[in-house]
Amino acid sequence: MEQPVKGAGRVTRLALLTAIALTIFMVEAQIPTLTTVPGVKLGLANIVTVYVMFSMGPGDALLVLSGRVFLGAVFSGQMMTLIYSAAGGFLSWCALILLRKLLTREQVWLASPVAAVFHNLGQLLAAAAVLRSWAVMAYLPHLVIAAVIAGLFTGIAAQALLRRLERIQK
Amino acid sequence: MKVKVILLLLLGAVAASAAWLLFRDGGTPSPTARISRDGVLLEEINLDQVDAPRSFVLEDESGSNTVTVEKGRICISAADCPDQVCVNQGWISGGTAPIVCLPHKLMIEIVNGGGTLDGAAG
Repeated sequence: MEQPVKGAGRVTRLALLTAIALTIFMVEAQIPTLTTVPGVKLGLANIVTVYVMFSMGPGDALLVLSGRVFLGAVFSGQMMTLIYSAAGGFLSWCALILLRKLLTREQVWLASPVAAVFHNLGQLLAAAAVLRSWAVMAYLPHLVIAAVIAGLFTGIAAQALLRRLERIQK
Repeated sequence: MKVKVILLLLLGAVAASAAWLLFRDGGTPSPTARISRDGVLLEEINLDQVDAPRSFVLEDESGSNTVTVEKGRICISAADCPDQVCVNQGWISGGTAPIVCLPHKLMIEIVNGGGTLDGAAG
């Protein structure tokens, strides 16, 4: 593990990473959806979440994640989606904490699909709570398959990012 | 080792999901649309008994949705929410996931109403 970044350097890095995540999130929101199943998306912004979790730790990851989720809802003008993103984000964050302890730095790519599955599960639980019905769980099979595919994609991207940024920081 | 376990779990989850999607009972013998808001049932429509297509507006303080029904199928044809997820989902007729409008807490699910239970087997 590299030295923890502290003080102004840490704040700057977190701000920059949040801005990057938010930008990716907003650009991705412009891409037309692939399927009619709600909730299926690439989740490219999670590359940043996974990166921060493994390089800076759970606390910083939560800061970047919550900053991106909140600002993303404000910028896209859909405050209602905040509940779902927050629930999904929190559950996947919990999963990532566990994965951070289990996986080595060469296995980061594997963390993303697991986190993605938990993200979608959290979203569905929030939707079930809002609608007061378990019928939305009918989406779970679609969302699990989509999450694993999208998660592998973002996971490999996060792995590549981690490797390259490590080289720069030395 | 850990990688293998996690990969196997993921693969298992995907396989189970795919199997569920492939082998579930496709059709509903007597499809009945159940429209509910916030968990409260608003309307129940037996889709087989719809003769002429019709539309109606469901409204509350959060916004409005226009629901269109035809013989055997139902959709949300218009909504005043920004994301339009429910409208993009199109027609549903049975055996599929429900239409959900999260901003308005509205949900349309297809249930098997009235038909004999035996008809669902096989």
